[in-house]
Amino acid sequence: MSNDVTTILGSAVRLSVPLAFAGVGEYVAERAGTLNISVEAMMLSGAYAGAVGSSVSHNAAAGFLWGMAAGLIVAVVHANFSHRLQANTFVVGLTLNVLALGVTNYLLEKVHMTPRQVGVWKVPLLWHIPVVGKPLFAERWPAYFLVGIVPAAWWVMRRSRWGLEMRSVGENPKAADVTGIHVNKRRRQGLMICGILAGFGGAYLSVAEVGTFNSNMTAGRGFIVIAAVIFGGWTLRGTIAGCFLFGGVDALRLALPALGYTINPQLLIASPYVIALLAMCFFAKRLRQPAALAQPFERGAT
Amino acid sequence: MTDGRVGEPPGSPTPSLEARSLTKRFGAVVACDCVELTVRRGEILGILGQNGAGKTTLMNMFLGLVRPDEGHIAVNGRPVVIDDPFKAASFGLAMVHQHFSLIGPLRVWENMALGEKGRIDEASTVRRVGEVAERYGLDVDPRARVDDLSTGQRQRAEIVKCLIRDPDVFILDEPTSVLTAAESVELFRVLRQVVQEEQRAVVLISHKLDEVLHATDRVTIMRSGRVVAERPTAGATAAELAREMIGREVSLRGDLSAAVGHLEAPAAVTAPAGDAPADRRPVVLAVRDARAVAPDGRTLLDGLSLELREGEILGLAGVEGNGQKALGDLLASVLDLTGGTVEVAGREVASGRAGAMAEAGVGMIPEDRHVCGSVLDMSVADNLVMGDLRSVSRRGVLRRRKVLEVAHRLIDEFEISVGSVDAPLRSLSGGNQQRVVLARELARSPRVLVASQPTRGLDVGAIEYMTARLRRAADAGTAVLLISSELEEILELADRVAVIHRGRIVGEMGRNEVDVDRLGLMMGGQAA
Amino acid sequence: MTGLDRASGVTDVVAVPAPSPPSPSPGDGGAGTAPGARAWSTAGTVLLYVASLAAAFGISALLVALTHGSPSKVFPAMYDGSVRSFGSLGYTLDNAAPLMIVAVGAIVSTRAGLFNIGQEGQLTIGAMAGAFVALKVHPAGGPVLVLALLAAAAGGALWAGLVALLRFWRGVEVVISSLLLVFVAGQVLSYALSRAFLLREHGANGANLTESDQLSSKVQLPHFGSYPHFNFGSGLLIALVLAAAIGLVMTRTTLGFRLRMLGHNATAAKHVGVRAAWLGTVALLVSGACAGLAGGVLLTGQAYRITPTISNNVGWNGLLVALVARNNAWVAIGVALGFGALQAGGGFLTTTGVPTDLVNVMEALVVLAAVFPPALQEVMRRRARRAAAGAPVAVGAPA
Repeated sequence: MSNDVTTILGSAVRLSVPLAFAGVGEYVAERAGTLNISVEAMMLSGAYAGAVGSSVSHNAAAGFLWGMAAGLIVAVVHANFSHRLQANTFVVGLTLNVLALGVTNYLLEKVHMTPRQVGVWKVPLLWHIPVVGKPLFAERWPAYFLVGIVPAAWWVMRRSRWGLEMRSVGENPKAADVTGIHVNKRRRQGLMICGILAGFGGAYLSVAEVGTFNSNMTAGRGFIVIAAVIFGGWTLRGTIAGCFLFGGVDALRLALPALGYTINPQLLIASPYVIALLAMCFFAKRLRQPAALAQPFERGAT
Repeated sequence: MTDGRVGEPPGSPTPSLEARSLTKRFGAVVACDCVELTVRRGEILGILGQNGAGKTTLMNMFLGLVRPDEGHIAVNGRPVVIDDPFKAASFGLAMVHQHFSLIGPLRVWENMALGEKGRIDEASTVRRVGEVAERYGLDVDPRARVDDLSTGQRQRAEIVKCLIRDPDVFILDEPTSVLTAAESVELFRVLRQVVQEEQRAVVLISHKLDEVLHATDRVTIMRSGRVVAERPTAGATAAELAREMIGREVSLRGDLSAAVGHLEAPAAVTAPAGDAPADRRPVVLAVRDARAVAPDGRTLLDGLSLELREGEILGLAGVEGNGQKALGDLLASVLDLTGGTVEVAGREVASGRAGAMAEAGVGMIPEDRHVCGSVLDMSVADNLVMGDLRSVSRRGVLRRRKVLEVAHRLIDEFEISVGSVDAPLRSLSGGNQQRVVLARELARSPRVLVASQPTRGLDVGAIEYMTARLRRAADAGTAVLLISSELEEILELADRVAVIHRGRIVGEMGRNEVDVDRLGLMMGGQAA
Repeated sequence: MTGLDRASGVTDVVAVPAPSPPSPSPGDGGAGTAPGARAWSTAGTVLLYVASLAAAFGISALLVALTHGSPSKVFPAMYDGSVRSFGSLGYTLDNAAPLMIVAVGAIVSTRAGLFNIGQEGQLTIGAMAGAFVALKVHPAGGPVLVLALLAAAAGGALWAGLVALLRFWRGVEVVISSLLLVFVAGQVLSYALSRAFLLREHGANGANLTESDQLSSKVQLPHFGSYPHFNFGSGLLIALVLAAAIGLVMTRTTLGFRLRMLGHNATAAKHVGVRAAWLGTVALLVSGACAGLAGGVLLTGQAYRITPTISNNVGWNGLLVALVARNNAWVAIGVALGFGALQAGGGFLTTTGVPTDLVNVMEALVVLAAVFPPALQEVMRRRARRAAAGAPVAVGAPA
């Protein structure tokens, strides 16, 4: 029984980690006021680039660098179309998702690769803890970056000047502008951070978890990340909680049939979205979205 | 912290800030025309001018929000280029904004920190805020959320935000419209302290004569983008200043006292037109014990009651932020009451039900015509007919010919200056936009006309027109509720004056009984 | 912001993202140009579009070349597949029809100020509802077909109705809820396909089969003409009629007027009697119904059975059509035809061995190329307007 729990827990952690990386990025982007729906593209590109990169450089770890770069490229395109040229951000985001899927599928067929996989790192001593030891402390080593990134993100957004400016840009871009802050520049930066982190998360999928790249590997995870940010009330803590919750639900979905339980798989797959919606419904007061979320800004436009 | 300032000993004759032949054009409009301005430390300079005179553009140039086309700015005698607000701050220029400057969900100290550079240090910022607040007697809590502050507190926070930068030149743009008389006095005391004890310079922008006469040392008068006069305040008279500001002789007893912000107790006037004595005419609007609450729990209306009779103009005086907007929203069917009733011509009208007030015969010239009164992106014709679509449509289908007919009729009657009837409303001037709103509302021959800050932001000609039109409407039998934070405007037009404070009416008097001091006390919350 | 009166509860609690930059579109009746704005000459605009599209095609060609394909074959093939012959023109029209339907619905809700991006989900639910009626109601025939299409519209409306409910009852932003519901819809379909009493194929067992029965030929949308001559499905007729109807309603009726008012300025609209919740719900229901109807058209006109991928991105693409067309119904017809051509050409391309993915990439690049010129122009126009009309709105009173 405890073996089962361990397996499920392990599966949950493994499924949550990519979400969490992307979640941190999306959180930053949304706090600055951009409702970024190209996370899916960022993650997928990161996954593909990670696999290809690890193959080309014969080094699994290098795959992550490629992944981050790919996510960054997606972000740069999105950022410049939406927050420099003022093109509708949903058009750009949706199109980038299509582009990422198409390009990665196309290249998958045409470009031969032998991707590598990073190894597992077992935290000494801790990983021996019964039940939770292995899932939490015997993961592929890039997962542990989360331990550093999450507090770093918290500190940057809460305590640094850059973070303060990001938050102000998401709440009241007009006032921020008058104070001399470059609203659209900060928004672009938010998107780029999201791209890097989501690319990392995507690379984790291919280079750490699975060991190879499959067509449409992310399968909508990007949107689950968005649901997690919403569920988390646009707080970092909530977002991470949401990512792990949704990862856990996914793990359950995979594990339950094998264990003999029959729960409607569709219900479980849909649950992140339903949960996020319900959270928005009934916890509206707690879940304060950034006031200027999804509102494009141009100085002087009334 | 490195900044652009060169230390100048106090009392130095070099002016802190100068505009030298500063010119700014926006397309064909010359907003500032070869403006020469000198700001000296140790004094409060008033910049007096009508709306549209160029004052704000000039300030925006000082603050780096707009780049001048010709001429330059000099700080402490040295010509400088100001690219953005950070640069302006580094040169020691700071401005108290009315809106758009404090960010709600953030705390006061975080807002203070926003305009600076370098690492954030909460403890140190909080301490500095406290120091400044104490030094000037400005009560503000650095850890409070801006959203939770009252208007007066917000302005204090704005002032602290400026002072914390240790500015050499401290600019305020029409600061007193949101303050009670007492708070205004307090503000001027702070300014005096800032200027005398610390040899800074203060620039006070205003269109109100009285304020300038009272609070400044020197006054520069602008008109149509140019500086037309400059003199020490001490010897100036209201009439002189008014003449310079408007460009012609002004009778301060007449129509324009409102426009120039000059307050003189009105002489005894004849009773308003109409045969029956005022108190025997039928009541057309009765608001009884109205209560309303904002979504965040703030009380908007606290048992407000008033009555309006046919053909009379009731002036509602009060400092902004005491419920005027809520009352306006109520009468525009945009606000829901939690208690109390509204009756129009004896029949109760549901609050908050879309269009109910308009249907009952309540016309509305809202405080912010861009928000509630008109749709900028729709055409002039659309805006003119949107109040009464039924009259220009048949069975749900709009009849273009009828629309044009109505539009042209109203344009002629109200002398609206417009290129094409299909041009977006946005393309009209402020005065003309206001006429469109007025036209639309009056076209329905309303029983009650609510005019909320109707002349704000308009130039003299537009103000004269509005004022005349309102009086005409009243003479024709419409009951007019004039809500204004400008006492002059109210005293100019009203038959009766009521004062609103904290969401209720705290006093009423007939025109003949008006005592400006008593009014001021009531506006400040001391029931007289 | 005044203290007591701040947030007197009248403005929308949730943020509505501005649709593509407001441009004076004929549907509005307003045709003024901002004072002092530097107008792009028509030639300049056309040149910009051409350059933009050329870049898109150029990148696609590069992609083909990089992976040892032959770019020179790609474009002739696309031309062949989309417009060269009557037959291929038929494909173009058939592809365009559902896109048009979705787009027109999207325009209605966006113009009303509610940015519904859940058409993909509404289309799915609509197709399901249509399939249910088409498969279960006997005897099959013309009336059932009509019923099925109505059911499809109703299904889509219902799904959008959820969005309206969440918005006007709980203040949940339309963008967010409509987006999330897309994925829920996918699962609803998946569930229905796995249950015999719903939509699972007869005779199938095990969890693997995920299709429904084929529609009887009596409930398939009639087709006019046949390949290789000029042919098109009745879906096109439905689309054109709907587009015209909605275009007229938006510009010529009081309902359309009120909807547009609501979208421009909800507060002013309320003042003159527009009930935001009611009218907003109507707008959302209409847009959902359109998406659902498109699903029904897809089902009865092309696919003839429900599969998990029945929606095939038509919902997303329809939304894109509306956005690229700047929310103008008449322009949307043209843009939908363009997309249809692109898809038809792409479909043909796949038969020559080029993978579908490349076609999708090309389509996406073309979309980006289509939004680039107006975005660039708008930015430049706004800069000019800002310089002409006044300083950035930073402080209270205007200059």
